[in-house]
Amino acid sequence: MNQPKRSDEPIWWALFSAGGVCFAVVIPGLLLTIALLYPLGVLPENALNYQQVQQWLLQDWWGLAGLALAGAAICLPLFHAMHRIHHGLHDLKLSSGLLGKILCYSSASLFSALALYFWWQGLG
Amino acid sequence: MEKTVEKTLVIQRYNPEQDQRPSQQRYQVPFDNSTSVLDALLYIQQSLDPSLAFRWSCRMAICGSCSVMVNGIPKLGCKTFLREYSGDLLLEPLAHFATEKDLVSDMTLFLQHLQAVKPYLIRQEQSAATTPATKPQPHKQTPKQLAKYRKFSSCINCGLCYAACPQFGLNPEFLGPAALTLAQRYNLDNRDQGKAERMPQLNGKNGVWGCTFVGFCSDVCPKHLDPAAAVNQGKVASATDFVIGLFKP
Ligand code: SF4
Ligand code: FES
Repeated sequence: MNQPKRSDEPIWWALFSAGGVCFAVVIPGLLLTIALLYPLGVLPENALNYQQVQQWLLQDWWGLAGLALAGAAICLPLFHAMHRIHHGLHDLKLSSGLLGKILCYSSASLFSALALYFWWQGLG
Repeated sequence: MEKTVEKTLVIQRYNPEQDQRPSQQRYQVPFDNSTSVLDALLYIQQSLDPSLAFRWSCRMAICGSCSVMVNGIPKLGCKTFLREYSGDLLLEPLAHFATEKDLVSDMTLFLQHLQAVKPYLIRQEQSAATTPATKPQPHKQTPKQLAKYRKFSSCINCGLCYAACPQFGLNPEFLGPAALTLAQRYNLDNRDQGKAERMPQLNGKNGVWGCTFVGFCSDVCPKHLDPAAAVNQGKVASATDFVIGLFKP
């Protein structure tokens, strides 16, 4: 039997897996803090004030925390979601070809690039 | 117990050489607590309708030949009992395979996929060891080394996982749960040296990457092999192989 071509799926699967971890850990943590605990008044009122957060995310440690947050809350989850949509389209027989794949991953890349761009802008 | 209670089995009949399309036939079968689906089929064949075709051999969940769909779920006929069902039973040949006759499926594709992953021990020095001068040595294995692959080694090639796998249903070229599990079983065996020969099959789009981790294969496996876990381990192996491939000239 002749050898099949090596699939490029490991790249997308690695991003998908990393995004899955973020979806399971980082996103619920963020939701809990920002969408639940803070509005309920469990956290001190000025815990998430703008200057404070900006200091943490964009100034301390050369803004690495902001980069990590953009990656873990936006970029990787995006690749995770688009990977699911790409395979879901195949399962629903809506698209099995290259087009769906290109659309899915390029939109994930575009919005990831935007997130990183805004982070970079915020540094200045 | 006396066999007084009866159950209705609705069986898909199809002879591709004569029939335009499959049809359904109903049979009344007496049963008790120990009547398996296979027992019921044998009763029908012996007492009601000798023309009914189905496969079986061991009657004890070892040979893997009595696979059928029972109410839409892939099952071993000899390991499934009429008492487990409250209403009628609908029996059909395995999903995702062509039908030869009635409940007999054409398993050629399945066997080809098993073969593709070279499911046997491959040793580099084998030819040298068989010359009279060099006496073949036994290959030792510790219980720990055995434990690594043991859970993947009890496949009976029943094909239930292929009938359960929607990806195999969509793409018959996909190597499928049992074949990928077998590949993993030999790749994890310390006596084996054939991983490099198997990886190209696993790395392709019809190898481990054809799986989207639906997991139904593991639900239906009568030997509880957890093929879905084996395929996922295969994905890690293939991803590692991918990274190594990047650095190799
Ligand atoms: S992995 Fe399980 S379900 Fe699949 S062929 Fe082997 S024994 Fe049957
Ligand atoms: S008859 Fe052998 S597995 Fe059922």
